[in-house]
Amino acid sequence: MRIAVLVKQVPAVDTVKIDETTGTMIRDGVEAELNPLDLHAVEAAVRIKESRAAGEVEITAVTMGPPAARKAVKYAIAMGCDRGLLLSDRKFGGADTLATARTLSRALLKAGPFDLLFAGERATDGETGQVGPACAKLMGVSVLSYVSAIDDLTDESIRVVRAVEGGHETVEAPLPAIVIPVKEMNIPRLCTLSGKLRAKTAEIPLETAEGLFMAEEETGLKGSATQVVNVTYPKVTRQGRRVVAAEGLERAVEAVMGLLEEKNALEEAK
Amino acid sequence: MERYGRVTKEIYDELLALLGRGGVVMNDAEALDNYAWDQAGRIWGRMPEAVVKPADSAQVAAVMKIASRERIPVTPRGAGSGLNGGAVPLAGGIVLSLERMNRILEIDPINRVAVVEPGVVTNDLCRAVAEHGFLYAGYPMSTETSFIGGNFATNAGGGKVIRYGNTRRHVLGVEAVLPNGEIIELGGRFRKDTWGYSLLSLLAGSEGTLAVVTKLIVNLEPAPGKTVNLLACYPTLEELVESVAKVIGSGRRIISCEFMDRNLVKYTTEYLGCSLPEQERSEGYLLIQIEGDTEAQLEDGYETVGKICLECGAFEVFVAESRTDSAAMWSVRQNGLEGMRARDPHACASGDLMVPLSAVPEMIRRIKKISEEWKVEIGIISHIGDGNIHPIPLKPEGMTPERWAVYAEEFFAVLIGEAIALGGVGSGEHGVGHVKQKILTESKSAAELEVLRGVKRAFDPLGIMNPGKMFSPLD
Repeated sequence: MRIAVLVKQVPAVDTVKIDETTGTMIRDGVEAELNPLDLHAVEAAVRIKESRAAGEVEITAVTMGPPAARKAVKYAIAMGCDRGLLLSDRKFGGADTLATARTLSRALLKAGPFDLLFAGERATDGETGQVGPACAKLMGVSVLSYVSAIDDLTDESIRVVRAVEGGHETVEAPLPAIVIPVKEMNIPRLCTLSGKLRAKTAEIPLETAEGLFMAEEETGLKGSATQVVNVTYPKVTRQGRRVVAAEGLERAVEAVMGLLEEKNALEEAK
Repeated sequence: MERYGRVTKEIYDELLALLGRGGVVMNDAEALDNYAWDQAGRIWGRMPEAVVKPADSAQVAAVMKIASRERIPVTPRGAGSGLNGGAVPLAGGIVLSLERMNRILEIDPINRVAVVEPGVVTNDLCRAVAEHGFLYAGYPMSTETSFIGGNFATNAGGGKVIRYGNTRRHVLGVEAVLPNGEIIELGGRFRKDTWGYSLLSLLAGSEGTLAVVTKLIVNLEPAPGKTVNLLACYPTLEELVESVAKVIGSGRRIISCEFMDRNLVKYTTEYLGCSLPEQERSEGYLLIQIEGDTEAQLEDGYETVGKICLECGAFEVFVAESRTDSAAMWSVRQNGLEGMRARDPHACASGDLMVPLSAVPEMIRRIKKISEEWKVEIGIISHIGDGNIHPIPLKPEGMTPERWAVYAEEFFAVLIGEAIALGGVGSGEHGVGHVKQKILTESKSAAELEVLRGVKRAFDPLGIMNPGKMFSPLD
């Protein structure tokens, strides 16, 4: 069985900062890491491999990004993936989710066929959650999103549990399919030293626009259906008032009650 | 005549006039109770007569003048996070809380120092100087709560001592108020000082028995390089302890080398609702942090050290570079005491054995053997890279807490005896307080005790500073 996992390198920060004039992410001086939600996708794939006989499953970690994104692929290999693939080309730059999915699916078809694909729920920088499903659409395979468990997996089909509003549903789909796990599916493992050493020496093949026979208007900024035209931040203003108990606590409590009444907050609370 | 004076109505009024209503607590059992005990446990607590909360050194000096005049005992107190009763007012009297003196006064980039008041939470200091590209290298594991003043008073160590040293090394100068109310300044914004005896070094770790520190000048290091964390899993403790000296001697920049045993990991992961890898098979873990300026240095660091661990018998070594993975590894270590206390609220945290690195394997063996003989279940957590070991015993079922308080200290007295026999001491970083007062006094020679008592008399002839602590029993 051949499995591919889509991974992305993201800035290792809690909140992404956007340059308001250019509309692009500020990456200067920010460490990069493998998108935390992708770790669950890698973990799910590696667990399938471990549940089968040695050599029966091969996992390829695929990413699109600048050359430095090779590190994200190496991380996935350190976790247990067998091979990597890096899609990197200046022409891929500025791609929106559609152009990204188009490029990735082209590469997956070329490097495939794959029986099963995994993708993270969304990337912590873009927060769209569209690339996985878009790849499925472009490749004509089933998409299984919000997956909290894999019930059964054969060479022909997969049965998964989906976390849906108000409960869980069990869904079966023929392979190939793309599985998008939720965080609850597993706890991603730590990399072992031997995994790190294997990743260090692993050659990560490079795929370019030319190799994928992609014209400039199919990929990158030119191939994108959407464009960021403006970025603004909401201005946070605090309208709190401070009551100081200079004339005793009782006076202060009265003052607070007065303020609450003024705002009709007491009525609403009732 | 009574040895100590009491806080009378007149003295209360005098303190009130000096410090204002927010600065004095008296006749309020609930409020006073918060200052009666520390993390050694309630059983080691004692009620103060009054608590004062001065706002500056002039007020501290004025309080000390009153206390000297009236011979009232004064116990300085930081966050109350100490583990040996150092901040407990054993003779009653006044607790002098430094909680309101909590300002970072200055970050001085040219001299690479920060000037702070003693009530600053150490973690806040670390964050503040990090914004200026510096590191404050003191890192007691309780930084979320402990004060820099308390760190100095106990000469706190923590998880980065093998690289940066303990608090004594980080404090370059202090302003301190003597028991008679005189203010002295020791050290300064410099790193060399042969201008007489180093009273500064003497005050570090003096647990409030000599003076009240009201201002500190702390050393700032350049911001550290990148770090990587290793978690090595061992099938036996023998193999684990034998590898420590080799890890430390690897020539790589080891920031931390910490040890957690099976019990500690079990109870702490249960408490946190998480797990560490290979928990079923591991008798113990080493958690090692390595620093490097470049990716290549980091790689070389974790490869070299990781291979040493594997060669010494670790069956697996995990590598964490990301924030998430590193945090997962460290949270168990950082919450070790809480984990043991979640298992048993009477888990005793005062064990703080210190032995030479070469004696660590034998010390661990003796701890295991003695705890079996004493029928005490223990978890062990340790800054093993510098030979500092914290065995945390759980109260045997059916034993009363009162009996346990005595039993646990008898148990520790035996362990301390073993540590001393191996060339170590009874406390590495927690201090003595009154919990370990008796053991310390018994372990010192008469000649050393005479000098120590002379020092104490020179600072505090009336014996009002934190009485009953370290080597001075309460009369």
